[in-house]
Amino acid sequence: MTAAGGLEGGYRRLLRWYPPSYRCRHEEEILGVLMAAAQPGQRRPSTRESLDLLWSALKIRMRMTLRGADSQPWAAALALVGVLLPLLMLLLKLTEFLDRGAQYGFGSPADILIGAYGDPGAYAQSFQLNPHSVALKGNVTDALTAGPLPALILAALACLGWHRAGAVFAAFVPLAYLGISLTSGYTLLAGPRGDVTLYAYGLEALVLLAAADAARGWRALRWRPSALLAAATVAAGVGMNGGLWPLFHAAPANPASAFRRVANVHRLASLPHGFIDRTFGIGAGGWWRVWLVYQGTLVAVIAVALVTLLVSSPVNRRALCLLAVPFALGAVIYLCSLISPPLPAPVGNTLAAVPLLLILLTAMALSLGHRPHAGPDIPGRPASPGDT
Amino acid sequence: MSRRPLQEPTFLLLTALAEGPQHGYGIMTDVERISGGRVKLRAGTLYAALDRVAAEGLVEADREEVVDGRLRRYYRLTPLGGDRLAAEVERLRQNAAVAAKRLKLRHRAIGGLP
Repeated sequence: MTAAGGLEGGYRRLLRWYPPSYRCRHEEEILGVLMAAAQPGQRRPSTRESLDLLWSALKIRMRMTLRGADSQPWAAALALVGVLLPLLMLLLKLTEFLDRGAQYGFGSPADILIGAYGDPGAYAQSFQLNPHSVALKGNVTDALTAGPLPALILAALACLGWHRAGAVFAAFVPLAYLGISLTSGYTLLAGPRGDVTLYAYGLEALVLLAAADAARGWRALRWRPSALLAAATVAAGVGMNGGLWPLFHAAPANPASAFRRVANVHRLASLPHGFIDRTFGIGAGGWWRVWLVYQGTLVAVIAVALVTLLVSSPVNRRALCLLAVPFALGAVIYLCSLISPPLPAPVGNTLAAVPLLLILLTAMALSLGHRPHAGPDIPGRPASPGDT
Repeated sequence: MSRRPLQEPTFLLLTALAEGPQHGYGIMTDVERISGGRVKLRAGTLYAALDRVAAEGLVEADREEVVDGRLRRYYRLTPLGGDRLAAEVERLRQNAAVAAKRLKLRHRAIGGLP
């Protein structure tokens, strides 16, 4: 291979990091500039050239995502997640609510809206919750995370395409929760389920501000029945298994074995069981059967739904990555809560609050930095006929 | 709306296009010449900057040609880009005028000391 051929191949490999639509329009052009600027006898791209190209490719990718032409998969995925995420949260809350309500009674309409149940004492006791969490301040924090009301409001705003109001509300919910919890001395690390909800609302604020097509509202779902179906399946699977508790619950009295804490089999046997267990009466079996039924069914249902989503289209794959963020953060927080000896409360609170604050800060930066762009000819888009 | 000052590479890029349309390598060498060799734009940085100023409507594609089997795309300043550069030049001129005036007064004051 000649020196020029090797050099050109090296540049082409680096240019692959640019978005396909940008490469389609600019690859040959940039390559021409790189080859013209190369030193005589240069055989491969220098380190500085390589870093410059990689960094610029990252900048162009981020910019194209935020700029959001409809043809861009990330922009379409952002619009999709903007509607899908609050719907998913609403479905999760509703299935969980139906499951809990069937066991503890549905209570008054006000109780239903704040996520409390007919017999809050029994509900709290069964989860070994702090009694405060079903008392006065707890009612507010529960209403923000456990209740279906915030998800309902958010889903309505997102579907109507009122994305700015939706973003403000989505940011308000977790911030209010944080404020009340921290001033009441709650340890955020103790409630990973609540954390998932908070991260989901924070992410929703970010997505509603970042998606250029957020104003289209429910229309983002029009050609994506598979995404809606997958969200409904995940929600049903989680709800019927007794919520996220089988996945996100640590046994504080048993710090000895990390595995036992993760699998948490003994606690599972005494947990209020989900719809599947009550229907088929499997909970009376051995611990491994309980584990299999709870964790196994849950994981299998979610996996099937997610794989369906994954393979269906590039937009859905990206939407899946975004939807995974709150759950992944929740899982990290859960693993941190397993550390023995437990982390001091300030450290735990910081760990749980920092990702949320980072998400919300990014959302704020987006809303402040969002400026209209009406460039008639953006590199990466086809030139208008008048350009030639 | 208050405008943020242009960053130097962007200022130099727009300046390079002020005289007429140029292709990527032309802009690169021109920016280096204008800045007296101080600012050297690499290809990645140059095209990321072009992407940004084009998105802001300051620059647009002019024409394409093929030279030695390589594609060259020329870019030109839009009327909006011309206005933005003129406004920046005026801002810099005012700043420079104030700075020069105060330095002059300072020299006089120092020179006038016993």
